[in-house]
Amino acid sequence: MTTDRITGTKTSASTGLRAVVRIEGLRKSFGSLEVLKGVDLEVDRGEVVVILGPSGSGKSTLLRCVNLLEKPTAGTIYFEDSCITDSKVNINHIREKVGMVFQSFNLFPHLSARANVALAPRKVLKRSHEEADRIAIEQLEKVGLGDRVEYLPAQLSGGQQQRVAIARALAMDPHVMLFDEATSALDPELVRGVLDVMRSLAEAGMTMIVVTHEMGFAREVADRVIFMDDGIIVEQGSPTEVFDAPQHERTKDFLGHIS
Amino acid sequence: MTTRPTAKDLRHMLAWVVGLVCVLALLATPAQGLTTDRTTAAPNQDGGRNVIGGEPTRITWVGTVEEGEEVTGITLLFPAGCELSDDSYVKVQEMDMSDPQHPLHNERSATIDLTAARLIVELDEPIPAGNLLYVEIYKFCLPPVSGQVIITGTYTDASGASHDLTPSPPIDTIALTSTQRLINDLSEQEWVKAWNSVKFLNIFVNPLWIVASIPSLFFGWLRSLGLVLLGFPLAIPVGLGISFLRMSRFRLLRFVSSIYVNIIRGTPLFLQIYIAFFGLPLLGIKPNDYLLGVLVLAMNSSAYLAEIFRAGIQSIHKGQFEAASSLGMNGVQTMFFVIIPQTVRRVIPTMTSEFILLFKDTSLLAAVGVMEQMMFAKTLVNTAGNMTPYVIAACYYLIVTLPLTRIISVFEKRLAASEGREAPPGDKDKMTKRVGLFKTIAPLSATDSEPLDATTPERHSSA
Ligand SMILES: Nc1ncnc2c1ncn2[C@@H]1O[C@H](COP(=O)(O)OP(=O)(O)OP(=O)(O)O)[C@@H](O)[C@H]1O
Ligand SMILES: [Mg+2]
Repeated sequence: MTTDRITGTKTSASTGLRAVVRIEGLRKSFGSLEVLKGVDLEVDRGEVVVILGPSGSGKSTLLRCVNLLEKPTAGTIYFEDSCITDSKVNINHIREKVGMVFQSFNLFPHLSARANVALAPRKVLKRSHEEADRIAIEQLEKVGLGDRVEYLPAQLSGGQQQRVAIARALAMDPHVMLFDEATSALDPELVRGVLDVMRSLAEAGMTMIVVTHEMGFAREVADRVIFMDDGIIVEQGSPTEVFDAPQHERTKDFLGHIS
Repeated sequence: MTTRPTAKDLRHMLAWVVGLVCVLALLATPAQGLTTDRTTAAPNQDGGRNVIGGEPTRITWVGTVEEGEEVTGITLLFPAGCELSDDSYVKVQEMDMSDPQHPLHNERSATIDLTAARLIVELDEPIPAGNLLYVEIYKFCLPPVSGQVIITGTYTDASGASHDLTPSPPIDTIALTSTQRLINDLSEQEWVKAWNSVKFLNIFVNPLWIVASIPSLFFGWLRSLGLVLLGFPLAIPVGLGISFLRMSRFRLLRFVSSIYVNIIRGTPLFLQIYIAFFGLPLLGIKPNDYLLGVLVLAMNSSAYLAEIFRAGIQSIHKGQFEAASSLGMNGVQTMFFVIIPQTVRRVIPTMTSEFILLFKDTSLLAAVGVMEQMMFAKTLVNTAGNMTPYVIAACYYLIVTLPLTRIISVFEKRLAASEGREAPPGDKDKMTKRVGLFKTIAPLSATDSEPLDATTPERHSSA
């Protein structure tokens, strides 16, 4: 899989603060079920954080709290210099700068790849038709889909769809990218193409929070690995620390099951 | 004086002459002993109110015998061009007014002499003063052109003297239409006679009534189509608005809109039509019948469409809303650029069924006298004493409904094809898990590839 290097995504970030995302005491309950039980996390600019953990540990919920797809029950979340848990903040403005990639792609099925990518730049960033199309084609070329711009999602493979979804998020020029098991829905032979795109994105300096079960990717690309279980961060550190010398029983257990 | 009379002088003179003639006429004519009350010809147009010249019709002449008079005979003169048919006949009746509250109809025996030019009736017994004389000429043909026919004549009093009748008011006739001519030709055909000798064929598919119904019901069909073509487009935005209210954040809006939807869907359209058509006049509001029909249909359909739209919107995968939100799109943008375009493709089949149902339900408006297909057919059936106009009306409904039904199944197939590959391959169990989760959030949600019919409330036709 050949993928152009993705570059230039950091230019728009210019605040003095190092942390792009800062989470303090985050709690989230669904009814009586408490899913996040107090999470503190800081992600620096250009940092790639990989979150691991067993199913149901709250990884997706944590990620979805960062762009308020889930409303936190308690705690505060800062994005750059704004406190997004403050009800006065216009969350749509924050979301423009927080890209998200879903396990199930969630492409707009009625729109071509190009139109999928161009929609938000046009409607949200108020770019002209031509400008939005130019951005869309550029982003699709970067994820290796320059020859598929007019295809409908249903005409693309799962891997190609997921790369369109990544291009769609990147077209908004985000300051951080959230990946929620971006490759879990893919057939094994399609996983690599998507991981290649994510890897070059990381190399280009994009700030990323990645939930994945791809241990190889985590070890290779992550600046920091976080292990979550039962709604809390159990352990974190560099890939070598977490993978080769896990401190906690639960981490050892989890990594033992995986490999 | 040698000056020539001016136009003004002439006009003056003319007025004087006319005035003089009138006065003389009044003096010369004694008070009428038999006054012409009415002269009519029965409509003989299939499904119409007109009198066709050259076609057998029934002429009715009615006059009153005045005070102090007796009438022993009457002669009616017909204009040139009238014709007798093979079985023309005359009926003479007297209306006995001695008890004005309960007038009596008596058949009167008389000597009758009927030709195409005149009718002479000599009564065996004179008709006394105060009573009415009825003369009916059956199977009589007026001149075969469009125009006016005036019947004049004389009457004979007890002394045997003959007096002029006041001329009848004019009877309007129309010329034979090509349809009527075709019907006439057909009725002569042997195969038509043979066909109609079979009772079932005669009653339900009588060729003569088929020919008569097709042009006449075409206009009823246009009116029915008009009702639904005005009502349905009106119902779409209203229904969409109500579906939004049904999904509103605010409880009050949800409550009010659900009451609207439930009342309308929970009661027969027939009843709603009655309430609107008989209720509004009591409030002093008297809108145009056709317009009110359109409004009632639109109101009714909007409730069904609201539920179709709601089911359609809620059948859109939650991920679509999340993807749009995660790109910074607001609620309105998400609705208009992401959700509704996808909903439209999904609801088109159910919307088309709703259109078909509404089109058929326009027939209910016949009950309150809105002129549409059923009313046209009913009027025809009443004059025909034959069911064929109903069968033709059925065909007219089918002209619309059958192709639309075909279109629905084409749409459904195409929809299934376009969404068939939407689910990511190899994600079967994750998909079901996701659906399970959403059931608790949106009871009407369905997976992307599931056909909408499973979740769409079906309308049961109210008639
Ligand atoms: N909208 C919701 N309503 C109710 N419960 C929810 C909701 N979303 C998540 N949960 C519950 O919260 C818990 C954590 O879910 P979450 O999706 O965050 O886990 P996860 O770590 O991402 O798991 P997986 O690896 O399976 O994706 C689960 O028990 C899940 O059932
Ligand atoms: Mg998850």
